Amino acid sequence: MTSMEKRLQKELQAMTKDPPAGVSVNTNSLSSSLSEWIVDIEGAPSTLYEGERFQLGFKFTSRYPFDSPQVMFIGPNIPVHPHVYSNGHICLSILTEDWSPALSVQSVCLSIVSMLSSCKEKKLPPDNAIYVRTCSKDPKKTRWWYHDNSV
Amino acid sequence: MEGWTGVATWKWIANDDNCGICRMAFDGCCPDCKLPGDDCPLVWGQCSHVFHMHCIVKWLQSQSTNSPCPMCRQEWKWKAG
Repeated sequence: MTSMEKRLQKELQAMTKDPPAGVSVNTNSLSSSLSEWIVDIEGAPSTLYEGERFQLGFKFTSRYPFDSPQVMFIGPNIPVHPHVYSNGHICLSILTEDWSPALSVQSVCLSIVSMLSSCKEKKLPPDNAIYVRTCSKDPKKTRWWYHDNSV
Repeated sequence: MEGWTGVATWKWIANDDNCGICRMAFDGCCPDCKLPGDDCPLVWGQCSHVFHMHCIVKWLQSQSTNSPCPMCRQEWKWKAG
């Protein structure tokens, strides 16, 4: 087993044994090397996204956890949120320049749930139209501007 | 008495059970090593966070500009042994 597989195996065990509220790994989606995961998340109670269900797609390179995972919303329901583009790309600094190998699938999912929870108004990012037309398929290739820390 | 066999145990003294980078036990070794002990030592930063040496070196080498501690994001500085 490679070191990336060993670490993901541990994370998977922890998340299936003791899943955090509103977050569950879709175990049917796992590839044998664990390099792709789908995680189901649920909008937290008493927030704008209460009762909504979303899917996050994770892709890991063999350099995980030194390399951040590629994380984006996938599937039919993409949350309308000022930091989530309509193609599923997420503007969140821990996914690129603030990544740390001490972070994990679980901590990324919890950050995203909390990013949704603190939202005050469901609206698309102001530059959505141009971004989705011009961006790369891989959100990690985007040079994100983290202009707003309030949501 | 014809002879005796000594048995010793050892343990790293760290303020945590697992390496925050690879998530393997400190009493074990990093995922690239086979045997725990002197071949796969632990190292401390001045911020007091501890990792397998091999894990923190890989992280520092993967960073092009700054090299924050994975746990607290302060600049990583080796603590003199």
